[in-house]
Amino acid sequence: MKILVIVPAFNESGNIAQVVEDIRTSGFDCEILIVDDGSSDNTYEAAKMCNVHVARLPFNLGIGGAVQTGFLYAARCGFDIAIQFDGDGQHDARFLAQLIDPIVSSDADLVIGSRFLPPNLGYQSSWVRRIGIHFFSNLISFLTRLKITDPTSGFRACGRKVIEIFSEDYPLDFPEPESIVEVKRCGLRILEIPVEMKQRISGHSSIRYFRTLYYMVKVTFAILLCMIQTKKR
Amino acid sequence: MTLKIVTIGLSLAILFIVIDFSRRGKLTFKYAAGWICLGILGAGFATFDRFLFLCSDFFGFKLMSNFIFFSLFCFFLFLSLLLSTFLCDQNKRNDIMAQKIALLEKEVCTLKGE
Repeated sequence: MKILVIVPAFNESGNIAQVVEDIRTSGFDCEILIVDDGSSDNTYEAAKMCNVHVARLPFNLGIGGAVQTGFLYAARCGFDIAIQFDGDGQHDARFLAQLIDPIVSSDADLVIGSRFLPPNLGYQSSWVRRIGIHFFSNLISFLTRLKITDPTSGFRACGRKVIEIFSEDYPLDFPEPESIVEVKRCGLRILEIPVEMKQRISGHSSIRYFRTLYYMVKVTFAILLCMIQTKKR
Repeated sequence: MTLKIVTIGLSLAILFIVIDFSRRGKLTFKYAAGWICLGILGAGFATFDRFLFLCSDFFGFKLMSNFIFFSLFCFFLFLSLLLSTFLCDQNKRNDIMAQKIALLEKEVCTLKGE
């Protein structure tokens, strides 16, 4: 099976080498694609030094645009599984094998790594964020009749069908919660598995202060719109 | 009468400018169409103002000036909505292009053996 790990990175020059190192030392057999989302620091150079596939976007598209570039590459190159793995060092590479298991056994098309499923180990995010995550979890559960505990988790694995869908249409700004609804509306299977997350190695998150509120309002609208959109598939 | 002449003159000026921009390739027909319609309608209504009074009465406006302001407000609202959709299309195309450029650049680097 051809497996691609997509690492979106925006100004992550301080983290990227460690992230690649973590994936390699985990012994997980995969190819790695780092998508530099128009960084203004030397993320691209740092990524090139890691001897992995690197794609550099000419300007910043946001996390969704960067991840979609990875899906586009995965679709073109015939990868069977694509894993999204954040470039800030928050995801734990030891869980990569567990993440793809349900796809390999054909039990799911999209597998989400959840930090809120028992045994609840590792970093659980700030309390403000947890409120937001809880809100989206309830909203998505209500709309799709599917219990998702960590809808904002960017640690996820996609099977071939999902790769094809996301390579054509993927939400651009804050894509994780919206993409769950999109996959569910296409009639595909979504599963969550417990994972451990860490605090970012260096730098800071793009969603802070008032952006948290903006994020909640914007994503709520986006999810509701996604529910009434004409099905493309 | 003076107001009539000024309105007709203004509408014709809009028409002339838009057509000139289109001729010089600064505006494509897709984007010029709305302005051309506005110019023609402005000149038409100014010439046959009786029709404007009839419309104003029909829609229940006590003053014709209110009707004109309301019509213009609706027109510009529609125009901005239309421009928003064009902008959104353009944005989407830019994003797709950026992604394709990134992947092509990657392919070129691979071929060069960098």
